[in-house]
Amino acid sequence: MKKISVMLVAVLILVLVLAFVAAKLTGSTTRAGAKTLTIYNWGDYIDPTLITKFEKKYGYRVVYQTFDSNEAMLTKIQQGGTSFDLIVPSDYMISKMRDEHLLLPINMKNVPNLKNVDSRFMNLSFDPNNRYSVPYFWGTVGIVYNPKMLGGDKITSWNDLWDKNYKNQILLVDSAREIIGMGLNSLHYSVNDTNEKHLDQTLRKLKRLTPNIKAIVGDENKLLLPRREAAIGVLWSGDAVEIMDENPELTYVIPKEGSNVWFDNMAIPKGATNKKGAEEFINFMLDPRNAAKNAEYVGYATPDKAAMRYLPKKIKNDKRFYPDKKLTDRLEVYDNFSKPMNAKFNELFLEFKMSHH
Amino acid sequence: MVKKRTWASIYLFCVFVVLYLPIFYLMFYSFNKAGTMTHFTGFTLDWYKEVFSDKRLIVIVIDTVIVALLSSVISTALGVVGALAVYSTKRRSAKNALLSLNNILMVSPDVIIGASFLILFTLIGIKLGFVSVLLAHIAFSVPIVVLMVLPKLQEMSPTFIDAARDLGARRRDVLLKVVLPFITPGIFAGFFMALTYSLDDFAVTFFVTGNGFSTLSVEIYSRARQGISMSVNALSTLIFLITLAIVLVYYFFSNGIGKAKSYSGGRRV
Repeated sequence: MKKISVMLVAVLILVLVLAFVAAKLTGSTTRAGAKTLTIYNWGDYIDPTLITKFEKKYGYRVVYQTFDSNEAMLTKIQQGGTSFDLIVPSDYMISKMRDEHLLLPINMKNVPNLKNVDSRFMNLSFDPNNRYSVPYFWGTVGIVYNPKMLGGDKITSWNDLWDKNYKNQILLVDSAREIIGMGLNSLHYSVNDTNEKHLDQTLRKLKRLTPNIKAIVGDENKLLLPRREAAIGVLWSGDAVEIMDENPELTYVIPKEGSNVWFDNMAIPKGATNKKGAEEFINFMLDPRNAAKNAEYVGYATPDKAAMRYLPKKIKNDKRFYPDKKLTDRLEVYDNFSKPMNAKFNELFLEFKMSHH
Repeated sequence: MVKKRTWASIYLFCVFVVLYLPIFYLMFYSFNKAGTMTHFTGFTLDWYKEVFSDKRLIVIVIDTVIVALLSSVISTALGVVGALAVYSTKRRSAKNALLSLNNILMVSPDVIIGASFLILFTLIGIKLGFVSVLLAHIAFSVPIVVLMVLPKLQEMSPTFIDAARDLGARRRDVLLKVVLPFITPGIFAGFFMALTYSLDDFAVTFFVTGNGFSTLSVEIYSRARQGISMSVNALSTLIFLITLAIVLVYYFFSNGIGKAKSYSGGRRV
C-alpha cells in the first residue's frame, strides 16, 4: 500500500512539474490573452521561425497542428470539434471541399501580396479566379534517374522508359492517378482524358512496360533510389529533391510529353473563428522575403514570383524544379473526377499491377 | 548442464541483439552530419540543437508524457476497482459476460475506437484537445489494467480474506491491508502497461487531437511526408536515455526498499 501511495505522489508531482515547464515554454513564445489563429498544415511544411515572426508582427497566438494526408485533414474538418482558421489542402481537395461547401471565400482586399503570385499559377481549374485558395507550394510528377547506372543515358521523355535496356530498373510510385496519367501522357493524351478507347490503349501500353518495372512502391522509393537499388523512379518532385539531397548522382526530369502539376494551397475552412487573421497570414506568407525563406526551408517550389529575387541562384535557376513557361504550359492539373471515374482509374491501375506479378 | 546454459545465453544474447540493434542504429545516425540513415559522413550535434530549438516539439513531448502519466494513474484506479468487481461477482454467467465485454474493448481495432470517440466527443460538445485525448487514453487503458490485475486476484487464496475477517478486520481493512498489498505487483504491471500503451498510441489519439494539442506519435507521423529528419532520431535517443535512467533509478530504488525491509523483518523475528 505504501509503495502505491509513494508511486502515486511521485507521478502527480512529475505531472505538475511537467505542466509547469510546458506552460513556461508556450508562455515564452506568446503573450497571454492574444487572439488565436489555428493553422492546420502538413507536417514539417513551414519554417518555424516564420510563425514566431508572424506572431510578433500581428500579435496573434498561433496554434499550429499538422496532418499527414488530405483525407485525414478532410475528416477532421467535416467532424468539427476544432475550429481551424487556415488549412493547406492539395488541388483536388480544394475543389472537393468547395463542392461540399467546406470553404469560405477569401477576401482578397486583405491579401494585397496576391500580386506577387506568378500568373501561371493563378485561376486554375480547381479554383477558378482563386475565390477560395491561394497557392502555397507547387511541384510536378516526373522521373528521377541515375545517369551513372544507365551508362550516361539521358532520359527526357516518358517514352524513354520503354527502352529495352532498362530491364528491371524502374520504381513506380503506387498511385493510380500518377501512373495512368503517365501512360496517357506517353501517348500524348491529357492526364485528364477519360475516353474509353484511349484508356484501353493506355492500359495496353502500360502492360508493355512490365519487364522494366522492378517494383511499385510507396515512400520506400526515397530509400531505394539513393541506395542505387534501382536506376529510375517515377515520383513527385518534392520526393525527388530529398532523393537528390541524399545522393547527388541522381537527377530529375519533367518529361517532354507533359505531366501533372500539383499545388498545395492555403484556404480558410468553414467555421473559422479568425478569418481576418487567416487572411493576414496568407498575405504574410506571400511576402517575397517570407516566401523565399519558407521555400529554402521546405525545399519545394514557391509560386511567389517576387520571391525569386531572394532565393539563392542555385535554387531559382534550377529548371528541373522551376521550369520555364514553355514547359509549364504542357503541365496539367488533375481534374477532380467523379466517384465512378476515380473507381475506373483505380480498376485500371489494379489490372496493370496484376499484370506485373 | 553447462552446455545447456551456454546455449541459453547465446539464445538470450541473440534475442537482445535483435531487439536493441534497431534502436542503436537509430541512435548512431542521430549524430550523422549527412542527415540521412544511409552513410555516416561525420559527427555532429546539430540534430540535438534542432530538437532543443523546436519549442513546439518539446511541448508536444511534455504533453505526451503528461497524458500518459495521468491517464495511466486514473485508469489504474478504475481498472483495479473493475477487477475487484469482476472478482467479487458470484454468478458465473455475469462474470463471463463482464470479462467478455472487457476483452472486446481490448481486441477491437484502435481505428474504430478512435472514430467512435471522435463522434462521441463532437456530439456531446467536448472540445478536442487535452481533455479528449486524456479521456480516450483512460478508456482504452482500463481493460488492460483489469486484465493485469485480475490474475493476481484469482491467484490469491480466498482463505486470506476469510482469515482476516475471522480475526476481526473490517471490510475496509481487508481491502487495504490484505487484498491490495497482495495484488500490488499486478497493479504496477497494469500501470506500466497503460503507460506504454498511452505513449505508443497513434490511431485513437489521431482522431481525438485538436486545437493545436498533439502527441509525439501523431506529430512524427505527420512529418513523414517530408521524410523523417534526423532530429527525430535525436529526440528518440534522448527519450531512450531518459527511459533508461528512470528504469535504473526505479531498479535501485525498489532494490533498496526490498533490502531494507527484509533486513528489518529479519531483526524482528
